[in-house]
Amino acid sequence: MLSSLANPRQAAVQLMNFGLILSTAFMMWKGLSVITDSPSPIVVVLSGSMEPAFQRGDLLFLWNRNVVTETSVGEVVVYSVKGKDIPIVHRIVRKFGKGPEAKLLTKGDNNVSDDTELYASGQDYLVRKDIIGSVFAYIPFVGYVTILLSEHPWLKTVMLGLMGLVVVLQRE
Amino acid sequence: MYTSVVRLQNVFGFFTTVAFVVAAFIAASDFVAERAPIVRTLKTTSVQVVRGRPHYYSSKKEEYAVINFSLDADLSSLFTWNTKQVFVYVTAEWPAADHSTTNATNEAVIWDSIITSPSADHLANHWSRRHEEAAQERGREDGKLVLKNQRHKYKITHPSGKLATTENVTLRLHYNVQPWVGLLTWNQDVDYGYWKALKNGVSKRFKLPAIKEKKPASAGSR
Repeated sequence: MLSSLANPRQAAVQLMNFGLILSTAFMMWKGLSVITDSPSPIVVVLSGSMEPAFQRGDLLFLWNRNVVTETSVGEVVVYSVKGKDIPIVHRIVRKFGKGPEAKLLTKGDNNVSDDTELYASGQDYLVRKDIIGSVFAYIPFVGYVTILLSEHPWLKTVMLGLMGLVVVLQRE
Repeated sequence: MYTSVVRLQNVFGFFTTVAFVVAAFIAASDFVAERAPIVRTLKTTSVQVVRGRPHYYSSKKEEYAVINFSLDADLSSLFTWNTKQVFVYVTAEWPAADHSTTNATNEAVIWDSIITSPSADHLANHWSRRHEEAAQERGREDGKLVLKNQRHKYKITHPSGKLATTENVTLRLHYNVQPWVGLLTWNQDVDYGYWKALKNGVSKRFKLPAIKEKKPASAGSR
């Protein structure tokens, strides 16, 4: 630590390394976003409404392009409702019409009723552009870290501190 | 230079690499496991159209199709060591009423069921109404579905509120295999390698009857 302060060149290199790690992660995320055409290509499950298929903390990979077929009934989609920040992972159970204006209704496998009540007031159906991706792959539990981080904000500080410390302490 | 931080980093890095490689192998093993779903029968047993309201406080009247059916299918080959659950669902499909948009289709789920694999049985929530369902559905644990005159789970309607005398309606069986890790897969119309297509999963075309005058306490899909 002290030696790196005494040697400004090495301190600069370490700072560069840290910046490189951050920008690589950022570019990979954005690159994935471009490939999948989804603003959020990987999401963490936050609720139990799709249990037992998806539990809290599971990682879902999304795909938002209609290459061969349209988004149709039975697909598990992530959608966001106007005026609400938190995206919802549910299954499409009804589809009326075709194309971008087709009316879609969703429901959580574990819920008794459909999602009409979750939609914005006056909104009875979703359309294609409300959907930010269809789930195509699944890894269990790995995303639980982010739930811990959002529920215990002090963990964020601790983790950032630790990461910084490791970067500063290690040489090359 | 081997400080304890570096050692810790190496151990963690090695652990994640091994974990992901093992997970990738498990996910890939799906493709060499044979899938041969069989449907013996899928047919309607009673079809009605009733008038109702979307919810109790609504004054809007809509037509609801009430479709009961029989299903005899064997999906047991979908269950492998990487299967967490199979979501089975039956949809009703019909073409649009006005011929200006001839290729427009309508599709709605009338019944669904979660069949957890034995390895995921502890996750199934037995407090819900699925418990009764499980008792009704013989042999659902191993993916063999024998449903006789199964009651619909969802009454279906159309945004226009009109459904009576709709023609060319079909029922179709679908499934979605949920893995412990890997790709989600659905029933397919053509064979892919070891995975056979789901054949015979469509009912005969039928016509929805005219409205039967009856007021259910709460129609709708709840």
